Amino acid sequence: MLRVDTPNFPYFLLVGILPWNFFAQSLMMSTSSIVDNGGLIRKVWLPIEVFPIATVFFNLAQYLLAMAVLFPMASFFFRVPLSRSALAFFVVLPLHVIFTLGLGFFFAAATVFYRDVKHFTEIFLMLLFWLTPIIYDVRVLPESLRATVYANPLSFFITSYQDIFYRQIVPDPFHLLVLFSLSGLSLAVGYIVFSSCKVRFAEEV
Amino acid sequence: MFPLIEIDNVSKAFTIRHNRTNSLKSSFIGIFHKRFRETKETLWALKNVTLSVAPGETLGLIGRNGSGKSILLRLIVGIYRPTQGQVRFPNGARVGAMIELGVGFHPELTGRENVFLGASIHGLSRGEVEEIYPGVVEFSELDSFMDVPIKNYSSGMHARLGFALAINLNPQVLLVDEIFAVGDEAFQRKCIEKMEEFRGEGKTIIFVSHAAETIKNFCERACLLDHGSLVFLGAPSKAIEEYHRLLAS
Repeated sequence: MLRVDTPNFPYFLLVGILPWNFFAQSLMMSTSSIVDNGGLIRKVWLPIEVFPIATVFFNLAQYLLAMAVLFPMASFFFRVPLSRSALAFFVVLPLHVIFTLGLGFFFAAATVFYRDVKHFTEIFLMLLFWLTPIIYDVRVLPESLRATVYANPLSFFITSYQDIFYRQIVPDPFHLLVLFSLSGLSLAVGYIVFSSCKVRFAEEV
Repeated sequence: MFPLIEIDNVSKAFTIRHNRTNSLKSSFIGIFHKRFRETKETLWALKNVTLSVAPGETLGLIGRNGSGKSILLRLIVGIYRPTQGQVRFPNGARVGAMIELGVGFHPELTGRENVFLGASIHGLSRGEVEEIYPGVVEFSELDSFMDVPIKNYSSGMHARLGFALAINLNPQVLLVDEIFAVGDEAFQRKCIEKMEEFRGEGKTIIFVSHAAETIKNFCERACLLDHGSLVFLGAPSKAIEEYHRLLAS
């Protein structure tokens, strides 16, 4: 089995699991955001985009609050001060939000037409959790398994957070470029899918 | 003068999906099992409706249940898109929300909070809501109940708050869908008076009702829909006559 020799493991875990929770919760809530507000969508004209966006930002607020609690605790219990690399957070976070929002758009639209997408999302997220280096450090994995982990786009985001707060280094430019393309791609695809079928939402919900 | 709203040969089709598959599971099973496959049927809810509404006009919409009145309103508001034809606003009018009472109201919130919630759903900013708030309270006569959660309101109070809010949203075009079935007579009279006032201000009103008297007294023109087609357009009293003939046949 994996030998756990990650020092300060609780801190490592928290740094990874908080952004994961933000991502997973946003996605789960986005899937039902259109369907649950069907009554409103059928009766009032409003920009339907607000529902997934509001969901993601609601979860973002929770994530930021959790982070605000984490850092004083971290410096008190684990003696990990924030380093200057933390500034990279302000680059990674917006990209992470955009990435989540894109997927949120996609799943929100899909759920209108296929109601069980919600349940598939739950299962899919469970699988994704283990494919994301949250409770293990990607560096302890054998080379052969790393490719599998990095096939999961979310791994790039989580390892960036770990770089920033745990390893206290700025993620390398290549890594940031990947984040940038992933979030752009996610938002583009998600938004195009969402807006191409939004005219039918009022009839389908 | 340009018409305010131009409904140009508009048709709206809905798909009736028999044996509806709205899950991935049933779509997947449908590949193998005929029994789980959906069959589609097209229902034309509106057929080639052409209609234009002049600014300041009061137009009545009548017709039997399911004749397409509410769908026409939804097409005007933009909740539905026409399958064929176009809905145009040559003057760039901002069509107010369809009046459906208490849209977006949340039972746990107080009357006051619901006014803010309901108004913001219709696109008003916080400042704008604060401006109209006294008017809403005054019109609804619910002064002493504004801090009560609306789950404790009677249905009449609920409707009064909804109407008071809707009327204070101040849209250029007022779309009214069957709302006078609620409230006591005094409040109904008040609603009619308010609508008269609106008309006096030169606002356009589109009015859906089954009440023949109201249509006759209130509207300048009436439009009769039957099975999605426009059957008659003209003087309200004539339209009501046609409508009664339809009902009798």
